[in-house]
Amino acid sequence: MSNPTALTPYPATITKIDVEASDTKTFTVVFDDPEIMENFGNQPGQVCMLSAFGEGESTISITSSPTRGKFLEFCVRRVGRLTSVLHQMEVGQKIGVRGPYGNGFPYETMKGKDLFFVGGGSALAPIRSLIDYALSEQYRSDYGKVEILYGARSMDDILFKSDLAERWPKIHNTGIYTTIDREEEGWKGHVGFVPSYVEEVAPSPENKIAIVAGPPIMIKFTLPVFAKLGFKDDQIITTLEMRMKCCLGKCGRCNIGSKFICVDGPVFSLAQLKQMPQEY
Amino acid sequence: MESRVVNKGQISELLDKLAKDYNLIAPIKEETMTLFRRVSGAQDVLLDYNNSDISPKGCFLPQNEKTFSYMYTGDTLEINKPEGVQKTVLFGARPCDIKAILTFDPVFEGVKFGDEYYSNKRKSTVIIGLSCSKVLSTCFCYAMGGGPCDGTGSDLLLTEIGDKYYVEVNTEKGKALVDAYSQIFSSQGAEQLAKDKEELAKKLSGEFVRKVDLTGVKEVLDGNFELPYWDGDNAKKCIGCGTCTYVCPTCHCFDIFDYPTGDFTGDRLRCWDSCMFPEYTLEAGGHNPRPTRKERIRNRFMHKIKYHLDRYNMVGCVGCGRCVNKCPVNIDITKIINDLKEVAQNV
Repeated sequence: MSNPTALTPYPATITKIDVEASDTKTFTVVFDDPEIMENFGNQPGQVCMLSAFGEGESTISITSSPTRGKFLEFCVRRVGRLTSVLHQMEVGQKIGVRGPYGNGFPYETMKGKDLFFVGGGSALAPIRSLIDYALSEQYRSDYGKVEILYGARSMDDILFKSDLAERWPKIHNTGIYTTIDREEEGWKGHVGFVPSYVEEVAPSPENKIAIVAGPPIMIKFTLPVFAKLGFKDDQIITTLEMRMKCCLGKCGRCNIGSKFICVDGPVFSLAQLKQMPQEY
Repeated sequence: MESRVVNKGQISELLDKLAKDYNLIAPIKEETMTLFRRVSGAQDVLLDYNNSDISPKGCFLPQNEKTFSYMYTGDTLEINKPEGVQKTVLFGARPCDIKAILTFDPVFEGVKFGDEYYSNKRKSTVIIGLSCSKVLSTCFCYAMGGGPCDGTGSDLLLTEIGDKYYVEVNTEKGKALVDAYSQIFSSQGAEQLAKDKEELAKKLSGEFVRKVDLTGVKEVLDGNFELPYWDGDNAKKCIGCGTCTYVCPTCHCFDIFDYPTGDFTGDRLRCWDSCMFPEYTLEAGGHNPRPTRKERIRNRFMHKIKYHLDRYNMVGCVGCGRCVNKCPVNIDITKIINDLKEVAQNV
């Protein structure tokens, strides 16, 4: 159904703030109107427009899975004006939220398959919604093995530390591989970049979907690794980022060819991406 | 289709009445520019203009528009939308500019997300078109499926013939308006004027000096994103001023930003934006998918002659010729179309 009031955000309250890294925080947000919270209907991989009134709006992915409860989590790295304002906010303060936008992950067609997640840097945030969906009590049996390979620049830059170290490893049939770019005192895990670590872990393409998200340079070097391992283009899913203003397919700027990332994406398979101009 | 006749002598009376009963938007002269503004009566309206410098797109997508105001009061956050829109008459829009509004419709009245600001204005506006009485050297509407006397999209289309206006009633909305002012809109002599209008349309269609033909251009672009053509003269000449997007009647891109009016209050606005500016696609992290003028020019022209077609089955150019006329470095969409046809022979 067409939503004509789509440019207007709903008032919401920050209920919790987790400091993930020196430049990254996760905000838990609840709509002031319980009915809106109840019917929001966000799906893994979708995004919202967050308003810090006085500064403007920005597109932020929903990092929480709807299976975790009636709240939204947004993991925000401080990079620009709006995110800087958000970072100064405290629990109890009001922001505006509108959404959910975008196609989200094809989690229905992924059922019955193993999932191999690859995240680089802050891009663990958009895929975490699907990780938690597939690992939820409700849907765990719908998916096979869930593996997560995550790379960060340094120990401080690792996001969702307790998910990676405690919550996810405890769940049945999971595998967690974390790496940092360079040796660091106190780090006992893997050291090296994501593409080479994927090659080392060498996931088999059999009945498996790879979900890859990260900075463009990481994606560029990781995709050939999956191809080498035998993954087909429709077995590789990624989620894109572009600058957006309306998130409704109207303001113009997030197009790749005739597709708008905000409404036709942000999730695409590699097979779909290969049909689009290389302009992202 | 019904038709009417208005004596030229009565057009002032009609405009005065419309200004009284409606929010009347009509072409005016403001210093050296012809553009559309709200007018208080016939005395302000410019009737013998060729093509306005700025199209009437702002009637539906204002250059700056408040979408809501916000206010923090104690523990609550209030969001208030502006009051409903006034009933409006857009008078004197040229056929190309009306066709441009039709290219906005699928964008703003999309399947999934509508746009109440646009739709409310669209619903409450009667569009009275005015056929062109001459063809300019920059005009090429015929090549984009339009014509100087084409009433598509208008509620009423007026065509100046001698000392009369021939009025075509194209919609129910238009019918309601002519019925409301029946003392001005008569039926006498309409048949003859209908024939005269056909004659005029035929005569004007022979006066285009620009030869443009879109056939086959989209097909070339479909399979060839990386044409070396885009590295050429246009990218080198463009100064990124954004004039083309500002004057273009089909350019609809907008920015959204906040305008604080106090510590706890402010307005959210949207305003026209331009894909010719580097900041348009610049991401917070520093990455820019369209970093140079080459990518930005390619995107703009691809949008007009391919992307809008792909998405909405409508060409995103109406041939008004404004960008051709106003570009300070003479970038010319008709030349680009013709160049691409030549390029097509070699790919």
